[in-house]
Amino acid sequence: MSLYSYILRRSLYMMIVVLGIATIVFFITRILPGDPVGAILGPQAPPDVVDKVRREYGFDKPIYVQYIDFIINLFKGELGKSVSTNRPVIEDIKERFPATFELATASLIVAIIIGIPMGIISALRKDGALDHLIRLISLFGVSMPVFWLGLILLLIFYFRLGILPGPGRLDPYIPSPPRITGLVTLDSLLTGNFDAFKNAIAHLILPATVLGYFSSAYIARVTRASVLEVLRQEHVKFARSKGLSSGAILTRHIIKPALIPIITVLGLVYGGLLEGAVLTETIFGWPGLGSYLTRAMIYMDYNAIVGGVVIIAIIYSVINLIVDILYSYIDPRIKYG
Amino acid sequence: MKESGDNMGASSKPGSRLGLPWIISIILLILLVASWSYFLIYARQPQQQIQLATRPDTLVIAMDISDAVSMDPAVAYEFTSVMVVNQLYDKLVDFEPPDLTRVVPEVAESWSYSPDGTLWTFKIRQGIKFANGDPLTAKDVEYSLRRVLILSKTAAWLLQQFIAKPEDIVATDNYTLTIKLKEKVAPDLFLSVLAFTTSGIVNPREAEAHASGNDMGSGWLTDHSAGSGPYILEKWDRNSEIVLRANPNYWRGPPSIKTIIIKHVPEPATQMLLLQKGDVDIAFGLTIDQIQQLKNVKGIRILEYPVLQLAYIGMNVNNTYLSNEKVRTAIKYAIDYDGIIRDILKGGAMKVQTIIPYPLLGFNPATPYYRDVNKAKQLLAEAGYPNGFDIELAYPAGAHPQEEIAQKIQRDLAEVGIRVTLRPMAAAEMYQKYRQQSLQLVLAGWGSDYPDPDNNAKAFGDYRIKQLAWRNMWYDDKVADLVEKAYKELDRSTREALYKQITDYILEHGPYAVLYQVVQYVAMRTWVENFVPDPSFGTYLDLSKVYKEPVLKE
Repeated sequence: MSLYSYILRRSLYMMIVVLGIATIVFFITRILPGDPVGAILGPQAPPDVVDKVRREYGFDKPIYVQYIDFIINLFKGELGKSVSTNRPVIEDIKERFPATFELATASLIVAIIIGIPMGIISALRKDGALDHLIRLISLFGVSMPVFWLGLILLLIFYFRLGILPGPGRLDPYIPSPPRITGLVTLDSLLTGNFDAFKNAIAHLILPATVLGYFSSAYIARVTRASVLEVLRQEHVKFARSKGLSSGAILTRHIIKPALIPIITVLGLVYGGLLEGAVLTETIFGWPGLGSYLTRAMIYMDYNAIVGGVVIIAIIYSVINLIVDILYSYIDPRIKYG
Repeated sequence: MKESGDNMGASSKPGSRLGLPWIISIILLILLVASWSYFLIYARQPQQQIQLATRPDTLVIAMDISDAVSMDPAVAYEFTSVMVVNQLYDKLVDFEPPDLTRVVPEVAESWSYSPDGTLWTFKIRQGIKFANGDPLTAKDVEYSLRRVLILSKTAAWLLQQFIAKPEDIVATDNYTLTIKLKEKVAPDLFLSVLAFTTSGIVNPREAEAHASGNDMGSGWLTDHSAGSGPYILEKWDRNSEIVLRANPNYWRGPPSIKTIIIKHVPEPATQMLLLQKGDVDIAFGLTIDQIQQLKNVKGIRILEYPVLQLAYIGMNVNNTYLSNEKVRTAIKYAIDYDGIIRDILKGGAMKVQTIIPYPLLGFNPATPYYRDVNKAKQLLAEAGYPNGFDIELAYPAGAHPQEEIAQKIQRDLAEVGIRVTLRPMAAAEMYQKYRQQSLQLVLAGWGSDYPDPDNNAKAFGDYRIKQLAWRNMWYDDKVADLVEKAYKELDRSTREALYKQITDYILEHGPYAVLYQVVQYVAMRTWVENFVPDPSFGTYLDLSKVYKEPVLKE
């Protein structure tokens, strides 16, 4: 029961945080120089058209009136209309978010598969050749431009070898499954369309590898540090002296206590991935949130910027909450009440 | 058991038993190898699709479609949407690129206007059907044009500048339509606006069946189509793809390409890979470097064509220095036009110095300005500034090639003594300031909204309509009157002569240094036939004439 009340209380805090962030971003966008209507209509739109469109979006009203309208709308679950797409921001986000969610989740899986074992091995073989190799690989991961890696992978696996598909979420000739969740993989499974499913997975591999590799470097480092920290503790020595097998020591006495910082990093990495990744989206023609928000900022599309930030704030808050709840499962000493 | 304990140590060698980390890594390795080999076997599939991509009845285009807002003709006003809408809807008249000087009949068979040029009558072609089979009549044209005025969206001004109210558009019988204009207007000008996609003819029955509130079906038409054009909009996944299906009822006969897939590929490098691989037939948006790489590649054809876009330096006449015509002329002589085209644009531009682009009526090929440092210095001395002066140049931040051009102009002007401070600005901010007349020098572009010289002449010449002349505070009544005269001139050759006068006058006195006309490139597989690029940014691109020559796989 206490967990539920904890979640409830956290959700309340979350609302306050989101409201605060929305307010700050709302005023920043309004204060910055630039005119979204003028930008979207281009340099040659006649002045009366610009004025008319500005009225249509309510940008002619005083800022405080716009702010009150915005808050009222926010409580109704509306984020206003985007100037650059001429549609409600919430509709735009609903359309973009599933693509980002799908890619982010796939990337996180890749990052975990690569990052955590690398970190553990690296810690167990501290200062050994394997450790140096792994640290080199992860250094390569953080320092390599995503843009370049994406293009090179496309060049090798799509263009030269032809074993993986090119950009996009599906091949042009594969009809996309009906939209249920917006996740092509899940929708194709739900409708029993296995060709589309296989194709969607194949399309995910390269972008997820690029993003996952990039994130795995970070995960590997934290895992290494965390495991090293645990290795130094008394209970590990005790377990060894007790004659436990190395496998049992690793799973029961090392990984579990080392998990807390790892989970924290995973939460941050996932949050970052869910914001969308502009460069990867651009290279792989992925219709995600990153390119939407970038475009919104270029055009000073007030509502889209504020709406996007609100969504990202909610994502981060929810992930934080999940991470905190996971803590109590991993370490029973942590209790929420 | 002891060795395994040692295994946990930092630098000891692995013991005889494999430790868990080894087991985990071996399992992972096996998983990785297994998944890769699965896709190696599965590899056949994408390869088959490469052959499919060359299917003769499907055209795959790679371009950036993120600008598209709506596929409703009354709303569409972005490059992508206008290009798509032109495949979905017919208009009274059309242009046949590359000729943009004279319209050709489309839904209207013929037309005439009253001697005073204000009352137009159009004869509607019989036998045209909408994609759903409904016959197209003058009533439908009346509905569609009135709809543009009633909805009054972004592009409505194109019609609103000539037509006062919806009731001035009347279908007098099933195949006759009359339009009353506000005032006398040059026929070519009015027709060129009727050829724009805003005047696309919508099936009123379908639009109204899907109307919500008083939107006349605009919400539904955002991603559906109800036209009589060669294609039907089958699907538009925003930022992913647009799929067009051939209209079986198309009155000119169904097109040879049955499906057009426009894939969102914003990254030029990815576009190039797709094109070389043969997975797309046409790539819009490659960089000049890529075009040069592809020029001699077997199986790829490059088309090069000037578009109706001029790049210019605007000089605000309100500025103390720039108010002096000699200073403006000095700047025009200080700029290295050839250097910009050769070194920065790598030849991807056409040398034009007048304000009406090629190939419109009234295009003036005069290029009197060239880099002449001594002449520019002398002009500055005559103007009373032998030591030059300080000035600001605004340009869109981070934009290419604008940034490089701005830097080059800074260097060019420095040589004649004019010290330029570069002011890169976000586009939103720059346009706002330009509109408020608060820039000094500005590097900007002007694309013609429709292929009639009036569009550019007004913007550059007539300050009263508050566009470029006004933004640069060049209040010259002589040229503004000439622009108005040409606007109303019914006779084509008299009008052409007027534009010669206007362009010559602005070339000499105007507060603009026109730098060049933009040249665009489109790269395609050689199996694509009959693709005629449109200088008007795809507004008049007709994909229904394109067909594919089946190619044997090498």
